[in-house]
Formats: sequence, C-alpha cells, structure tokens
Amino acid sequence: MDLSQIIQFTFSGLTLGSIYALMAVSLTIVYNASKVISFSQGEFFVFGALMMVTLTSIGVAIPIALVLSLVMAAALGALIERMLIKPILGSSVGTIVTMTIAISLALRGSALLTWGRSSFVSQPFSQGEPLRILGASLQLQVLWICGATGAVLLLIWLLFERTKVGLAMRACSDNSLGASLVGISVRRVNFFAWIFGSSMGALAGILVAPLYFVQYASGVMPMLSGFVAMAIGGMTSTLGAVIAGMVLGFLEAYGIGFISSQFADVIIFTVLIVTLLVRTRLLAGEASSDEGGM
Amino acid sequence: MKKTLLVLLFLASILLFSLSPITPAYSADKVVKIGGVYPLTGYLSWLGEYYKKAAILQVDLINKAGGVADYKLELVSYDDQSSPEEGTRAALRLIQSDKVVAITGTATAAITGAVSSIANKYKVPAVMSSGYDLRPDKEPFTFNTAHPTFFAVARPFMYLKKQGISKVGLLMPIGSLGEIGTANAQKAASQYGLTIVAEEKFDIKSPDVTAQLAKLRASNPEAIFSFVTGEPAALVARNMQQLKLDIPLIVSHGNATPGFLKLTSGLTTVKLVVPSGEIMAPDSLSATDPNKAIIREFNKLHMERYQEPANYFSGLLSDAVLLVVQGIRISGSVDPEKIRDGIEKIKSFPAIGGVYNMSPTDHYGTRIEDMIVLTIKDGKWQLIQ
Amino acid sequence: MKTKFLLLFVVLLLAAYPIVMGKSSPYSVAIMIVLGVYVILAVSLDVLVGFAGQISLGHAAFFAIGAYTSGIFTAKYDLPPILALLIGQAFSGSLAWLIGVSVLALRGYYLAMATLGLSAIVYSLIVGFQSVTGGASELRDIPPFSLFGFSFDEYVYYYYVVWAVVCLVVGSSLLLVKSSFGRTLTAIHGDETAAGTLGIYCDKIKTSVFVFASMFAALAGSLYAHYTSFLAPDDFGIFTSIHILIMVFLGGIGTIYGPALGAIFLKLLPEFTHSFRDYELLVNGLILITVLVFTQKGLWGMFLAMRKRFMEAFRSSGVRKREEEMDEEPVI
Repeated sequence: MDLSQIIQFTFSGLTLGSIYALMAVSLTIVYNASKVISFSQGEFFVFGALMMVTLTSIGVAIPIALVLSLVMAAALGALIERMLIKPILGSSVGTIVTMTIAISLALRGSALLTWGRSSFVSQPFSQGEPLRILGASLQLQVLWICGATGAVLLLIWLLFERTKVGLAMRACSDNSLGASLVGISVRRVNFFAWIFGSSMGALAGILVAPLYFVQYASGVMPMLSGFVAMAIGGMTSTLGAVIAGMVLGFLEAYGIGFISSQFADVIIFTVLIVTLLVRTRLLAGEASSDEGGM
Repeated sequence: MKKTLLVLLFLASILLFSLSPITPAYSADKVVKIGGVYPLTGYLSWLGEYYKKAAILQVDLINKAGGVADYKLELVSYDDQSSPEEGTRAALRLIQSDKVVAITGTATAAITGAVSSIANKYKVPAVMSSGYDLRPDKEPFTFNTAHPTFFAVARPFMYLKKQGISKVGLLMPIGSLGEIGTANAQKAASQYGLTIVAEEKFDIKSPDVTAQLAKLRASNPEAIFSFVTGEPAALVARNMQQLKLDIPLIVSHGNATPGFLKLTSGLTTVKLVVPSGEIMAPDSLSATDPNKAIIREFNKLHMERYQEPANYFSGLLSDAVLLVVQGIRISGSVDPEKIRDGIEKIKSFPAIGGVYNMSPTDHYGTRIEDMIVLTIKDGKWQLIQ
Repeated sequence: MKTKFLLLFVVLLLAAYPIVMGKSSPYSVAIMIVLGVYVILAVSLDVLVGFAGQISLGHAAFFAIGAYTSGIFTAKYDLPPILALLIGQAFSGSLAWLIGVSVLALRGYYLAMATLGLSAIVYSLIVGFQSVTGGASELRDIPPFSLFGFSFDEYVYYYYVVWAVVCLVVGSSLLLVKSSFGRTLTAIHGDETAAGTLGIYCDKIKTSVFVFASMFAALAGSLYAHYTSFLAPDDFGIFTSIHILIMVFLGGIGTIYGPALGAIFLKLLPEFTHSFRDYELLVNGLILITVLVFTQKGLWGMFLAMRKRFMEAFRSSGVRKREEEMDEEPVI
C-alpha cells in the first residue's frame, strides 16, 4: 500500500462524504422545524438535478440555471406542503411520514413521465482537470460540494441565530405548543421549513449529479445515506449531520481501501448501530427529549 | 344494518372474485399468444423499452407475412418492475390467465430465474434474454438468446490477446453478477493465455470507485474488466479517466445501447471494449455473413417504426420471438410442451444473434464467433477486431 | 359480536375462494398466496409497531432469514421443508432475541435507523456470501412445501397451507393484544418510564414481542420460498421493510385488521394500475396520498367509519340499541 493509494482513499472518502453530508443537512433542516422525517427529499434531489440538466442543455448559464432550479424546487415544496402536509398536520408522525413516502412515489412517477427512463450526464460547475496529488486525483466538483456545504452551514447558522424566522423555527422545534402559545405560527414555520428543505434537497442534487449520473429514480440511495448520517449526527444538529456524513464517507472509502469492498455496507451499518447505542447510553441520564419523533 | 353489512361484504367478495379475467370467447381468427415479461419500470426500465419495442415489431412482421401455421401471433406483455417477485407474478399471469404458449424477456439473472422457475413448473417454454446461467438438464424449458456469458468474456479477451495484452485487472460488482464475471474471466484467461493480476469489488450503487482503482493500479494491469452494465460501467470508465488509467476497459455485453453512448460522452482517454452482437455494426458485415440480410432488414424496419436503430437488445428479443415461431413450425403444434421440443430441434437457423443450433445440452445455440467487439469513437460505435 | 360475524364470513370466503376460482383463474389463487404472506408480515409488524410501539425498519431481514433458511436447507441439503422451516424459526428467534436485547434500548428514529441498518446488513450478507446463499444464479430449485409426504406443488393446495398459517398468525396476534400482556404492551407504548415505575420489565417484554414478530416474519419467508421456488436478494432489502411498514400505516396502525387490509391493498394495487403503464408509479402515489388524506386512521378506520355511517342510515329503535352496544365495543 503506497501513499498514492492512501491519498486516493482519502479523496474517495471526501467525495462520498460530501454527498452524504449535504443530503443529511437538507434532511435535518426539515426535521428541525417540523419534526417530520421527509422521505420526499430524495425526489427533490432528483428534481433539482434533472431541472439543471434540462436548463443547461437549452443553453442557460450554470449560475442562472442553478437559481432557477432552486426556485422551482422551493415552489414545488411549497405547493406540496400547502396541499398535502398541512391537512394532515394533526395526525400521528407515522401517518405524516407515510404521506411523504406517498408523495415521493407521486414525484418519482412525475419525473418518469417528464424525463423518461434514461440516465443523464450533468455538467460539472467548472471544466478542468481533476486535482492531482502524487498520482491520486479528486474531481473539482467535490470542492464545489464542500464549499457549498460550508456556505449552507453558515447560512443556517445566520438564519437560526440572527433572524426572527430562525428563532421561531428553533422555538417550534423545542416545543411547538409553547411556541404557539407565544404567538409563533407553527403552520408558517412548517411551511418555511418545507420550502427551505426542498430547495436544500434540490441543491444537493444539483451539486452531486455531475459526479456521476442522474435519472428519475436516483434520489433514493443518497437519501438513505442522508438518513444514516442524520441519525449518527444527532437528529437536530446540522453541524452534526455534516460531520457524520463526512465520517461515513471516509469510513466507507477506508473500509473499501483497507479491508474489503465486499462488506463495506456491513461495516458502515454496524458502526451506525454501535454509535446509536453508545449515544443513547451516554444520554441515559438526561430526561431524554430525544425520543426520536415517533 | 346486518343486511347492509352483508351487502358490503358481498360487494367486496365480488371485487375479490373479479380478479379472474373474463376469458374471451374464441375469435374467428386463430390466435396464438406469446408472453413477454419486461422491466418497464424500475432500474432496468431503460432495457425493458428496447425489449418490448423489438418484440412488438417482430410479431407484427411475422403477422404481416401471414403468421405461423394458420395462426396470428399476439404479444401479451407485463411489467416485472425490475423485481423478481413481480417477475414471478407476471409469468404466472401470462401462463394461467392469458394462456401463452411461450414466454420471452427479461433482464438480469435474478428476474429471469424467477420467471424460469415458473415456466418450468408449468411446462411452458421460456426463451429468455439475459445473463442467466442455463442448465438444460434441470430446466429443460428455458432457452437463452443472449450469448453465453463465457462468450461475452472470452471474445473481448481474444481481442486483448491480439493486441498483445496479457495482464488483466478485475473490478467486479458485489453479488452474483460479479461471481459470474470472475469465474468466466478466470476460465477465459486460462484458455487464451492471459493473467488476472488483481481483483476488486464494488457496490454498483456507489458513486465513486477510485479507491478500488487505486488498489488495482498497484498491480500494473494492462486492461481492466468490469462485468457491469449502464451507469456503473460508465462510472468505472469515468473514474479511470480521472485517475489517468488510460488502458482498455472491457464491460459487459449489455452496454451496446444509445444510452451508454450518452453516458460516456465526455470520455476521451479510456478505450472502452464492448462485446456485442453483429446487429451493432450492420454496415461492416461481410457479404458472406448469413445473418447480414436479416440484420439489415430488421434494422431498417426498426428505424422506420421507432426512429432509432435496433441495438443488441432489440436483436435478442427479435430472435426470441423468431425461435418460438420456428419451434411452432418444427413441431407443427401450438402446445407449449411440443413447442419446447420444436425449439430444441432448431438447426442452422439464421437470425440476428447468429445461426442457431440448439440441442438437448445447448439451449443457447450460438457460437463465440457470433460476437463482435466494439469501441466508442466520437460518440459512435466502431467495430474493432 | 359484529366483528366476530364479519370474521366468520371472511374465513368462509377465504376457504371457498380456491374452490370457486381454482379452475377458471389459477392465477388469482397464486396471487392470494402472496397476499397471505404479506398479511403475515404486516400483522406481525403491527404487533411490534402498533402495540409495543417499537418502530422497526428491519422486518424484511427476518423475512429473508426464514426464506433463505428454508430455501437453502431444502434445495441444497434435501431436508424436509417442515424441518427447514423449524430451523428458520429457531434461527430467527435466537437472532431476534440477541438483537432485541441490544438494540431495543433505542427509541423512535434511532431505533428505526438501527433496524434499517439491520435490514441492510442482512441483505449485504446474503449478497456477500453467494456460495452459501445461491451461487452464481441466485438460489433456485427450491422444492414445493410438503408435509407427511404430501407435496403441495399445486398452488390450489398450497393456498390452504398458507392461509391456515395466516389465520394462526392473525388469531394469535389478536389473542396476544387482547390479553393482559397486550395491555402491558399498550402501557409500554404509552410511556415506557411510567410503565417501568409500575413494575413492568420493559426490556424483557419489548424483546419478547420483537422475537414474536420476527419469528412470524421468518415464517412468512419460509412460506414464500416454497411458493416461488427461487430466491434473489432483491426482494429482501430495505425497500421491502419500508413497504411492509407502509402497509401497516396505510391499513391503520394498532388494529391488526388494518395492516392486513393494508397488505392486501398494496399488493393488489398493481393488478389494477399496471394498465396505466408509464403512469403507474404516479397513479400509485396519488392513490396512496388520497387514502392518507381522507382517512387518517388508515383503511381500517375508513371501514369502521363507513360501517358506522351505514348504521346511521338505517336508524330504527332496534338498530339504535345495537348501535349503542357497538359504540361500547373496543375497536378490535
């Protein structure tokens, strides 16, 4: 095993980790404000990516296409929240989650009808040779992803710490009854969380798609990885989600590199389970408000 | 209300019993039904489309030419949703409800296995088109128009040998496909005098295989063989280019599709080697090739109807239909068991994938020479020797 | 009383089905077998999720264990199916116990993720150990189920085996949840800490329910293996676990009958929507959405509401009395 290989494993880890981190962040945002684990996030991922592909293929410049795609994803998220989530806000969390699954099916079906079955290649943000160090290489797009994730974290921090909306979201997340008692519209907060969450999901798709390919059903795997990262990161912490996502990516890459690719999945999920157990036992003393939603 | 409850229940029972389709009365035209199980949704849907289109076209062509015996053909197809469980269901439906005399389709060994199980249980011939490993002694009703996996591995190895390459690295998918790939690679390597220098595995859903490639590179392979199709294959190629591993990459024989051309459009330095059937190079065939006329004709008609040329998969399904029809002709019957016997007796039958010669021990019928090797140049398929 | 009457009717219907439909439409009998398998899966999951309140995304793991144990031991080692099934039961039971003891300390989302991980791990192991679980072309040649020398290779006969097991599973689940044990479960579901203060050994009980549910899932797996004669890991992954959970929620969590309905609904849906072809996925999603929006208590809730409305439509003094009786009747 030489240095070049180890660097490549690290780059691979960075690639994978950045994908998981970004997905986890978008999932955490929605959960934070509405206590709902949205299974539809995978479809926003796909929607954002495919929208981007369509726009750039008709000649729209990348930055404009990016903004347009995000706006459309936000609009879609708003529409869904108003029409489908608001009516069932009172029901059990399980029902709401099942609804997000049903929504994801409908969205995936629409994507199939709109874009067909084929896989698409998405343009990377910057054309150019991959970054090369000692024979190992990293696609430039990964740097964009990391940069964007950092920017999103900053944005979220600003939002939550410095704006009224953010404060309202945090209040709702801690105690929605209490928040409504002091005049915060839980419905409004939910609405906003969905818009923000869906555009984040779309952003994840737009950023990640150039790394490989995208088609109507591509959203599911990244979303599942995002769920795992979210769980490890502590459900409500966006920073935790990013760190967990990165750790997962590196774990996978190093697992493949140093142990074997055959059982990489087994290693990762075992780590997940162990982490969850350890975290629960560590918190066992506290009055656990972290019931986990359901 | 006891009454209304009963009424409700009665309605529910009607609904349940309505699962039975109304069997149509005999129509004036004698019709024989051929079944199709195709992945029209799910991750294999890109493939299912080609299968279905080709089957429909071929059935139409045969009917236009008068059908077979006194019968017109009718294709009944169902979506297996890229899942073995649905494949079982589709096969059952075709056999029990639609009473087809043969089944064609589907993709992947997993779904094919499910369909084949049912077909053999109910003694209906299944002419499949996938990487499924045939065992005529255990499953006498299953045939396969896809070239045997060994050919699909050995043919490109033959090409490598001609290029003077002898060291091959394997990058195989985790799962049964990978096992098949590895086993055949080892067999082909020893037969043609090449060496497998290293092997790595990867998850086909993974977005990055640079770690595995870095490990492979350490053993200095002169070519890489990855038995995958579609996105994973394009990903391996892309990652190889990223790592400046500018050596030939052999992929599975499932990649000869327009979709794959699109997926690999940005790649310039990796030399892709795709084994396929002659249908992919209709203009480069020699004048003495017995399949040339049939291939060109089918390609032309496919182009007319669907505005795109036929590809390897279209060829597989078209051959499946042709084999079933030939089986009916040879046996002189539309009884599924007799059709099976008829198919097994097919000899010197030129079609798209080759000249078929079936036997009780060989249910593929094709030879290694029926395969060609392609590469991609300027976004187009190019025949290489 | 009402419900018992209904149940009897349903059982008679089920018994009559193959006799009536067997000749003209053997396909629908085969479909009923798959439905039966999934009813077992959904109902057993409901006991775990709906009553004990333990969210599990790992049910398919035990489905897989039962299926593969039965499949491997009968196809490769020629064991009698019933023995293979029992081995599957023992294996899944012990595994469930081991997992339960460690993982059930988790709650809510964490538990969901941990059980998801379980599903993924079992799937990876099946795929990874190809030589044991099937070799190059998956696991094939599984013989039909047989008991005391009688081989159930005709689906019409196998139907009765499967649905007898379904009745067994539904029956025992009902007994369990209506018993005092069931009330204990509800207590734990409501508030584990409080239940603990009442002297309930939550951990032991949660684990035993997990074992109970998992063994039934494995049973469903064994039945499934002998139906398809062929196994591929594709049918046993995370999505299957999620699918079963949807059946539970759609049907009405915590009602036993609801998830059974949910299983039947979700499995039959493709039969009706497959004609939509490309639109099928979208249509399925829309149908699910509609059901969820209109009935927050799931399909069973919908059914109960409809039943009540029919009562009100036929209001008379005799009816009113029985209606009052009905209102006092618990949901199950």
